Amino acid sequence: MENVPEWLKTAEPYTPLADRDRFIDRSIFSFLGLISKIRQQSGRKNDRLWVSPVFKLAFTILEIILISSSRHFTFVCLMLAYLVVVLAILPAGDIRKSLRGALIAAVFTYLILLPSALRGNRYSITMIPAKVFASVLSVNILSLSTRWDHIIGALKRFRFPDLFIFVFDITIKYILLLGNFALQMLYALKLRSVGRNRSKYASLGGVGGTLFLKSREMSEELYGAMECRGFTGEYHAFDKFRFTGYDAAYLLLNAGFFWLFFYFQKLA
Amino acid sequence: MHIPDNYLSPSTCAVMTAAMIPAWTVSVKKVQKEISKVKIPQLGICAALSFLMMMFNVPLPGGTTGHAVGGTLIAILLGPYAACISVSVALLVQALLFGDGGILSFGANCFNMAFVLPFVGYYIYKFIRERTHTKSGEYGAVIFGSYFGIVVASLCAAVEFGIQPLLFHTAAGQPLYCPYPLGVSIPAMVIPHLAVAGPVEVLFTLLVVVFVRKVSPGILEAAPRKKTRGIWGLLLGLICLTPLGLLATGTAWGEWGADEIAGIAGFTPAGMTSGLNYSALLPDYSVSGLPEVAGYLLSAVVGAAILVILFKLIASVKKDRPEAVLDANRK
Repeated sequence: MENVPEWLKTAEPYTPLADRDRFIDRSIFSFLGLISKIRQQSGRKNDRLWVSPVFKLAFTILEIILISSSRHFTFVCLMLAYLVVVLAILPAGDIRKSLRGALIAAVFTYLILLPSALRGNRYSITMIPAKVFASVLSVNILSLSTRWDHIIGALKRFRFPDLFIFVFDITIKYILLLGNFALQMLYALKLRSVGRNRSKYASLGGVGGTLFLKSREMSEELYGAMECRGFTGEYHAFDKFRFTGYDAAYLLLNAGFFWLFFYFQKLA
Repeated sequence: MHIPDNYLSPSTCAVMTAAMIPAWTVSVKKVQKEISKVKIPQLGICAALSFLMMMFNVPLPGGTTGHAVGGTLIAILLGPYAACISVSVALLVQALLFGDGGILSFGANCFNMAFVLPFVGYYIYKFIRERTHTKSGEYGAVIFGSYFGIVVASLCAAVEFGIQPLLFHTAAGQPLYCPYPLGVSIPAMVIPHLAVAGPVEVLFTLLVVVFVRKVSPGILEAAPRKKTRGIWGLLLGLICLTPLGLLATGTAWGEWGADEIAGIAGFTPAGMTSGLNYSALLPDYSVSGLPEVAGYLLSAVVGAAILVILFKLIASVKKDRPEAVLDANRK
């Protein structure tokens, strides 16, 4: 204890000044939410709801077109009823996530349309939030019940070029990789943000800029790795598509929706 | 600025998707010219980068935060064609897999954020950058490019919203999709972008560009050679447009002559009746004997020429000073 210098023995009380650095926390939360969503869906081995991804994708889009084009509230309600039945089959966590997204979108739409309703327009405020709820619910159900690489693979059936499917696949993988990298930087920034940070903006620019430079580095590494493994620019997406009984039933169901749509159109 | 489904009619969505097809085709062709087919998977990483740039929260004065789109940033970092493809793929991921932004309105969202935003932002940035060689000139280019990129994109979105009640309504006139006409949608969308979203976009773009410039300057495009021909074109264009002034009848406020002031004020002030009376060479920009338009054009040409001569003389005097020589060498 004799060798301890004087300045080390003196107490130095330090109270960090308050600072508004919610942007770091919020950025961390958005990245965390993103990464957890990607990790969750890749953890799934099998898709839910038994129908092949090709049909799921095609008919989700067609159902959204029907819902969007319909002018009859009854039809929109019938589609909503169908979606709610499908939702009931999914596990509780997926139900909560799907409903949350759809409700937020619908409430937001309702609020935006309030001024128009207050001026006497009753149609928009009944139809559009209901349609928005149904559309967002439909996409969420697709996204939560199917592995994303299966959805991307299903695009091959829609005549998308193989290289595009490959690019799309890499995008998801690198959103995860770069997202993790950005998250580490944000954690580092948070840990070093004690008291008043006068260079918040420079820090944020640093995280964004480093992310860009890292993406360049990863780009070169990816190209090098692919070339070393013999990639010559040709990519063949394989899809295992077998038409099952579930697919047939789903096809019939959607044919029914089409018929219903035109039935209601004729009623007007 | 992501437009959800059901705000735009399916036919509007179809038209916007059709409008994007040539943009995507041209972008893919241009990108393929620069990078070989083997390197195209790298676009996936660019798309991932573009997606992640939308996740950052930018701190604003007052403690709030905002999100930027980053379209102009990606265009400055990777070029406008790569930006178009990257932002489109990022938007597709958002729409299809995250349920953020509509599926049907994907074409419209791409048009606003993957086409208008990066291209308008990039070409404004390039235009200013080619004419200034200073660091503050470059930052000015980034600021104006990113600001106007997002504002023009929001204007496009506002127009897409605003034409819905005009084109898609029931026989009774009830709007089927977005019920707000152009008179409401344009201020409602453009003003928040002018006031809040624009500055957020500028701030984020500037911060990242400043950092990259400082840390790795070679990675951004080198400043292209100074182009001044555009200025002459602009000057010529403005000269040709001067006769438009003739369309405005009446005299501008405060520029009344002694004859007009009597009619306006009821009397002519003494200082105006017996003050300085100067007869110009080309009074009221007209030449007696020639039609008014010719007089305007002649005045514009002569005036511009005199100013160019004047400034060239001043610049040549400054160039001969020793400080000016040192400055030129330092650059």
